Amino acid sequence: MSTPDGLFNNERVAASQDTLDEQRPASVRIRRLLMEQGYAILCTQSQSQPYGSLIAFAASDDLKTIVFATPVTTRKYRLLTECEHVALVVDSRSIFPSDMMRIEAVTATGRARAVGTGTEFDCWAGLLTARHPHLAAFVRSQSSALVCVEVLRYLHVCRFQEVRQWVPGNAS
Amino acid sequence: MGARQRFVIPLAEIGDTDEPLVGGKAARLATLYRAGFAVPDGFCLTIEAYRRFLTSAHLGDMIRMELGRKAFGDLRWEEIWDTSLRIRSAFTAAAVPDEIASEIADAMGGFPLETHWAVRSSAPGEDSSQRSFAGLHESYLGVLGFTPALDAVRLVWASLWSDAAMLYRFEVALDPGRSSMAVLLQPMRNEPVSGVAFGRDPVESRADHALIEAVPGLCSGLVDGEVEPDRWKLIRSTGEVLDYRPGAREGDPSNLPLLENAHLVPLARTLAEVESLLGWPPDMEWTGRGDRLTLLQARPITCPAASSDDRKAYYLTLRPGKERLRVLQHRVVDELIPELEAIGKRLASEPLDEWSDEQLAAALEERLAALRRWRQIYRDDFIPFAHGVRRLAVYYNDAVRPEDPYEFVGLLRGEPLLAVRRNEAIAALANEVGSNAPLRDLLSRAALQTGHDPEIWKKGLLEELRRLPEGGSFAGRLATLLEEFLDIAYNTERLSDRPDLILHNILELARAVGSGQQQPLARGSLSGSLLEERLMEAVGSDRHEEAREVLALGRISWRLRDNDNLLLARLESQLLRTIHAAAGRLERAGRLERGTRASENAAAVLMEALRQPSAGPVRLPTAEESGKTMPTAALEETPRQLVGQPAAPGMQTGRVRRIRTAQDLGQFQAGEVLVCDAIQPMMTHLVLLAAAVVERRGGMLIHGAIIARELGLPCVNGVAGAIEMLHDGDIVTVDGYLGIVTVGAPEFDLELADVAGEKISGKSGKAQ
Repeated sequence: MSTPDGLFNNERVAASQDTLDEQRPASVRIRRLLMEQGYAILCTQSQSQPYGSLIAFAASDDLKTIVFATPVTTRKYRLLTECEHVALVVDSRSIFPSDMMRIEAVTATGRARAVGTGTEFDCWAGLLTARHPHLAAFVRSQSSALVCVEVLRYLHVCRFQEVRQWVPGNAS
Repeated sequence: MGARQRFVIPLAEIGDTDEPLVGGKAARLATLYRAGFAVPDGFCLTIEAYRRFLTSAHLGDMIRMELGRKAFGDLRWEEIWDTSLRIRSAFTAAAVPDEIASEIADAMGGFPLETHWAVRSSAPGEDSSQRSFAGLHESYLGVLGFTPALDAVRLVWASLWSDAAMLYRFEVALDPGRSSMAVLLQPMRNEPVSGVAFGRDPVESRADHALIEAVPGLCSGLVDGEVEPDRWKLIRSTGEVLDYRPGAREGDPSNLPLLENAHLVPLARTLAEVESLLGWPPDMEWTGRGDRLTLLQARPITCPAASSDDRKAYYLTLRPGKERLRVLQHRVVDELIPELEAIGKRLASEPLDEWSDEQLAAALEERLAALRRWRQIYRDDFIPFAHGVRRLAVYYNDAVRPEDPYEFVGLLRGEPLLAVRRNEAIAALANEVGSNAPLRDLLSRAALQTGHDPEIWKKGLLEELRRLPEGGSFAGRLATLLEEFLDIAYNTERLSDRPDLILHNILELARAVGSGQQQPLARGSLSGSLLEERLMEAVGSDRHEEAREVLALGRISWRLRDNDNLLLARLESQLLRTIHAAAGRLERAGRLERGTRASENAAAVLMEALRQPSAGPVRLPTAEESGKTMPTAALEETPRQLVGQPAAPGMQTGRVRRIRTAQDLGQFQAGEVLVCDAIQPMMTHLVLLAAAVVERRGGMLIHGAIIARELGLPCVNGVAGAIEMLHDGDIVTVDGYLGIVTVGAPEFDLELADVAGEKISGKSGKAQ
């Protein structure tokens, strides 16, 4: 015999969690997604040609900065040196592959800059490798650049088309 | 048994462990069948068939999109009904995969061609002693032929997503991946008597009593609650009848009992045997008496609701059957609406100022009681009667199979609604103002002179109007408009106390007509008569009478659904009038501070104060105590896209004007986007001025949606947070095709850091 009431109870909990999440401010949901997902699509451009790359990232606690590393030989690095205006897209497709309505996505827009050596480098490299320990050698390689994106705006998308904007630093 | 991808299993072959595949109803009937009880033979379409159908037509994704639009708890029942209608339309339009169709054809081929079939739901976990989905999923009886059977199967599958079924399990995550439906097909038994039998008395929970109910003909009337049954209470062990209550049935004046002792005893014995086999006292559907007794269903008796949140009974009243709608129609049309109309008129004519304190207190008491009573009637009768229009929708869609499941709305066009008559009166006055400059100047001045006694103001205005050439007729019609159509309350204010508001609207409408800003009429939609022809053609001549009845009832229910709101608002207005009279009297007596705003929740205090003239000063509860407090949006974020239901097609950009109070009604300007909780019948004239409509409340059949469709305006409704997140003056683009409201200009600077303060082009900032 199936046990419908047991099933109902479990599902009720799941449903109420969804509803709770629904009521959270965009900033909370953005933070959760950035902490959950380690990878993002980096969007760069040059001479009217957009370009997308997958990167491993970490975000600062105030979400004002997103950091990643790239070999300096890459197209994305060259494009970054030509145009500092970038966008990053992070999403939860991997968690809900079959339910589009539950997928969340965040687009962050801002400006990228390569981080020099010294304390600042250690600080951002530490943040990135804490999140992706297996990238420690990659991050500190002579041929890699550490890039910080100063995020100016986040756009949070859920339920396919529901969009809210948040500027990091505009905390309540 | 090898159950993998078995789409059809004959009843006789369903095994002990097959319930997850065939659902509870089929599994239990199979158990009874194997044990030798008389059960109609037949076959079961398994949940594998349902899932294959869902996958092949991508219906799972469609359901997820429908249900994912917003949190299920935020959906009103109208929105759930809409969702359900769209899912149902998708199910009826989808092809049943060939491999399933051919297995059904093969299974039906084992029975005579002229067999009439009962096509019933059998959802896994459908019934338990704590929870019953009885009456929530559909069954179709008397289905003849392969194609109709396939149609019925699709509809049974779709009923897993019926409004009532979804409402009933609203707390459950409605995941298409975890819900399924098997379907049982059995040849119909046409017996003179059918009924239900309970192994325990479910009402009094008496373990030693059984209950038997019987109706003439099929059992469906009893299950739907449309036919009153004969009812026997028996002692289980002996079969001795303790109580017999005949059912009152139309066309059955003889009232002879449908069952005799010789029939009751074997029924009671069967109950005991079924209980012994299944292990619990059954709630059993049966047909035929004596040696023709056949079992149609057995499920555990559902315990009386342990908690009051089991609202199934109310949900079921929201989808009354044909008979109940007929009864409701008679009650609502012939009795309730005329009574409500008469009460409103009588209360409006009572000279409260001439009455003693005691009489005024009694008037308050009467109005308060009347309002309570009519609000209950609204819930118990008017809302269920509104289902007449929903029944028309389903009837039309089943017959015509239109691409747009809301095509039927065209059948409602041109109904003589009170609100339409009111809007026509307003439009006629506006036309006159547009072509008469002195009239326009006078009204413009008067509209700005607010703040003193509205009665004196109104009297002065009407006198001034009468002095204008041709002003007498205008004054007369304005007075009629105020008395006949505006004696209604909106958000604790009587619109008849604020004639300046309607003057603003008339002036603005006159201006809009003059500048060509008034909205054009609906484009490209089919006329009501064409749709009616289409319906008649689709049902065929032998069902014309039935179709006409469904149509007439749908139209009446639509019309009254609109009118009852206005009539109830008139009652609210009359309560407010009495409250204001009582407050005024206490003010003059020095017992109430001057200018105190008294709303509906002050009635009880005022009544008490009037009856105790020697008591001291009076303190009224504040209006806020009775009102809703609106949550404010988080300050640090701004919406970019709000999502709702695409309620009327089109796309328009304009500035937001929120309507929250009566005062807001007068502020509305042509070309603005009307944002409100819900368009009430008393504000439909504003839609004539609007560029688009956005409502928090959702539904394709609510006023805003219907009027916007009529006028060809985009409307997005069911937008949670519309009132809190949008502000007067915001530029929004309303996309009525997709149900999206985009906030801010299409182009904005991504690098402007301060979202809250950014200067989106065209945005005026703070509320005016």
